[in-house]
Amino acid sequence: MAVIVYLTIGLVAIILQTTLFMFTPMWLATPDFHFILIAYLAYRFDLLRSLLVILPLGWCYDIVSGTVGGMHLTIYTGSFLLLKFISTRLPVRESLYQIPLIGVSYLLMTRLVHGLVSFFSPETLLPWSWPKVLVRTFLILLIAIPLFRFFEVITKWLEGRFTPLQVFKVRSGNRFR
Amino acid sequence: MRQRSRKKRSSRLKVFRLVLLIGLLFTMVLIFLVSTIGSKKFGPFHKLALESIGPVQRVFSETSRYVYKIKTDYLDLISVRDENEKLWKELQECRNSSYQYREALASNARLQKLLDFKNNSDLPVIAASIAGKDPSLWFRTLTIDRGTSDGVKNGMPVVTDGGIVGQVFNIAPNYSRVLLAIAPSSAIDVVLQKSRVRGILKGTGSLKYRLDYILKTVEVEKGDHVVTAGYGGTFPSGLPVGVISRVVRKKRGMFQEIEVTPSVDYLTLEELLVIQREIPFKE
Repeated sequence: MAVIVYLTIGLVAIILQTTLFMFTPMWLATPDFHFILIAYLAYRFDLLRSLLVILPLGWCYDIVSGTVGGMHLTIYTGSFLLLKFISTRLPVRESLYQIPLIGVSYLLMTRLVHGLVSFFSPETLLPWSWPKVLVRTFLILLIAIPLFRFFEVITKWLEGRFTPLQVFKVRSGNRFR
Repeated sequence: MRQRSRKKRSSRLKVFRLVLLIGLLFTMVLIFLVSTIGSKKFGPFHKLALESIGPVQRVFSETSRYVYKIKTDYLDLISVRDENEKLWKELQECRNSSYQYREALASNARLQKLLDFKNNSDLPVIAASIAGKDPSLWFRTLTIDRGTSDGVKNGMPVVTDGGIVGQVFNIAPNYSRVLLAIAPSSAIDVVLQKSRVRGILKGTGSLKYRLDYILKTVEVEKGDHVVTAGYGGTFPSGLPVGVISRVVRKKRGMFQEIEVTPSVDYLTLEELLVIQREIPFKE
């Protein structure tokens, strides 16, 4: 059930990114909802279920974006695995505390894949631009907090643990495992 | 004895009361007669009475007027509020109509230009709209709402009334993807309209093209028009591409650095035309 729900959410995110949030073909300030979903899955879901969501979504993303097949799939899957690896070793489980890592993994994976594609297939990609990438990273970090909250509500609802009053629930100060 | 004297006293009292009642009635009748039949003069007593009653009357009248006014105002307010709501609604409707009218006018102008382009060129075209835009930072592509079922094939050029936009590079039954001419992987054969010198137009990812392989010996000026060359069979010849906006002749190297401003406004793309032509070496 969770896989289907998050697949649907991911598809809606991709559609939003390619339509409503792309005002012109060169629009910069498009938040990458899809990447935030992947980061959330890395923190909160097990490997198998996450991959069942990430791989089809990455494949779909490659269909609507870019000319190099598999580039987005590699970036998203790589970022997921990186975040999964880090999250299992972090003492803090609270997902909001892990948000800065999303930005770092986005920067790392994008730079790595861009470098590889540019090396093997020059003149296919636009040149690397730090200002543009940093704007996108900042947007990811900005949108990640409300989206993580939203995904938490969805997850609790899927687990049958969600009641509307939980939004106002005061949590304990302990954020460690 | 005692009883007799008591009866006597009560009969006197009765007589006294009777006399008093008759006297009072008589006096009242007399006052009435005097005041109606007698002198019409408004005497001091009248004045005194009127001065006493007047203020009370005024208080009552003003109070009733005030209450009436409040009631009228309230009713007016209700009607004004209703009227205000009605007017606001009408204003909103007028604004919506005006917006729709302006939008229809703009769409009409755009479509008219496309139609003019279609009528003026002998090329068979398919009208398409943009379904989606590439959100990636590294590519410049679009998705359009026409595919193989409409006759779209890989490699077909995509244009607007302004000139070339790109070419189809992925197709599905009802949708296709277009590689924009501003994409770094795009390369189009072009000629300088004035000198007929051939070059290769490359995308830069921004709203400028780069014109490569123009020798330094060629006279190129800012403002020269660039059109498609028609070599290779992808683009028909003579389609507008852009205008030269910057020319740099460096000391080293054989070629000039030329920047071309697109004739198409990529920021306002909405409707496109896919030129139907057989593309060699494309599937």
